[in-house]
Amino acid sequence: MLITFGAIAIFFAVIIVVLQLSGIKDRDFTDYAVGGRSFGARYQAMSFLNTWYPGAMFTAFGGMAAGAGVISFYVLSYSLLTVVLMYLMAKPVWIWGKTFNLRTQPDLLALRFGSRHIRTIAAVVGIISGVPWLVLGMQALGTLFQHMSLGTLSFAEAVMLGVAVIALRQVWTVRMGMRGVVISDMAQGIVAYIVGSAVLIGLIVWMVIARGITFDALDQKMFAIPSIGSTEGPLYLFSLILTGAIGGWCWPYIFVRLFTADGVESLKKSAALAVPLSLVFGVALLIFGMLGSQIPGVAAHPNDVWFIVSKEAGGLWLLGLAGVIVLAASMGHTDGNIQATGAQFANDLVGNYWQLGERELIVIAKLGMLALTILSSWLACLELPALFSLAVLAYQGIIQLAVPQFLGIFWKRGNKYGAIAGMVAGFIVAVVLELGYPGYLPWAYGLTSGAVALVVNLTIYVAMAYLLPQSQAERRRVEELFDLIEGKRSAASLSKGVREPA
Amino acid sequence: MSDDGNTNPSRHAPWIIGWFILDAIVALAPPIYWAVDGNRTAILGLPAVVTYFVAVAVFITASIVVAYVAEARSGEAG
Repeated sequence: MLITFGAIAIFFAVIIVVLQLSGIKDRDFTDYAVGGRSFGARYQAMSFLNTWYPGAMFTAFGGMAAGAGVISFYVLSYSLLTVVLMYLMAKPVWIWGKTFNLRTQPDLLALRFGSRHIRTIAAVVGIISGVPWLVLGMQALGTLFQHMSLGTLSFAEAVMLGVAVIALRQVWTVRMGMRGVVISDMAQGIVAYIVGSAVLIGLIVWMVIARGITFDALDQKMFAIPSIGSTEGPLYLFSLILTGAIGGWCWPYIFVRLFTADGVESLKKSAALAVPLSLVFGVALLIFGMLGSQIPGVAAHPNDVWFIVSKEAGGLWLLGLAGVIVLAASMGHTDGNIQATGAQFANDLVGNYWQLGERELIVIAKLGMLALTILSSWLACLELPALFSLAVLAYQGIIQLAVPQFLGIFWKRGNKYGAIAGMVAGFIVAVVLELGYPGYLPWAYGLTSGAVALVVNLTIYVAMAYLLPQSQAERRRVEELFDLIEGKRSAASLSKGVREPA
Repeated sequence: MSDDGNTNPSRHAPWIIGWFILDAIVALAPPIYWAVDGNRTAILGLPAVVTYFVAVAVFITASIVVAYVAEARSGEAG
């Protein structure tokens, strides 16, 4: 235990020293919420990865590869496709962000649709949907600490220890805001995805050479994809990849990465830097999981494949390193979630209805982050049997933000009525369908509830765009926004009122 | 505003947009993955179904890296 917990303690201390040495002082709320739009491509790439891939990648998706096989590769397909979307969105989102000092995802929706209320709706959906995932992330640390204790701690004790560690870590997230998050993401990301990939590849080689495990040893069911005649339905995989790719950008803590870069080129370069790392990490993790299913003990506990194989191959030292890698990934995801939620609480809820100064916004954001940390830590220590179902429900709901978000960026015609009505209807349809048909819809060839709801949402958005045409003033306002992106107009030449909410 | 309201605010070269569309097709089109369902024939040392997913991942990765390099060289990345 000294070795495993010692490794965790040393890593935690290094991250804190890195943060302390960075000497961050935020001058205003933009500094606090988006790091003053000051980060180059390398920081952006690692920050994206460290927020995108949580520690649960090693447990939930590693476990899925070990338990269900090749279908787990869907996570890699959607994780890479989402970077294509990032590449396409980089220019419009960054330019609008810089020009209008946007600090959150709801800020962008409010600007594009000229509506203050859409900011509130998007923020409420984002915050509420994020809580179950935050709690699940904290609880997942229980698995980590139980393995680090070599089975000495009960699962409940391990969860409490994990929650205590991640809650302590939030002291620096609250104090330092986005700059702290991005700087620590660099250190955490190197450990989680570069060292992590190296360990994964080493373990694959060990399994093949030392244990003689190859794909030939795996059961045929490990190579099945839901196809025609399958239980789930032939469109199940399509639905998972589609909603994963477009839904990723609906999470506030992912979207805000588009505002932290120091320019459009940095964003695009960060995409080009992040994808090869994502490719190597994802392929290594999923092949590792599939082969790891042959190691004794994994079949009964597939979600523990990362810890079981590490200990088997390298003893306590490698188990300690495996724990550090999962903690590094978990920290980045949790920090990003809490920081973005605090910023939304101040900017999109309180600040949307009260005139607040820069210092007041920072104080309210810090209070919001503190409250969220306490709330989620408390929930994580409770037994909540419906938590996972709630999290899935939340995911199917939040992806409804995708329609106004992507169409708002790439199509001039949409309006706030279609955006709000489509989003709300989509959310309700997703929730009702998910409650009735959890997982997938047998009568819709395996589409998920969120995917069907997206069709409803999109139909309403497009119908409203044509049935309720924009007013002359709104057309001019939207035209100016798009002229700005296309370089036909400078920020100085924008009309007054381009940003005015209706 | 143009008549149909369409716009291309990012102004990427047509071949980049074409490659990105192909990314979506190879990753999402059900007939492609139905065709490799359960197929364990070794291709490049991996079962065909695993090779399919890895090939899709490499194809998408290459599209982004090549798009960035091309735009950076022509001064259109910013």
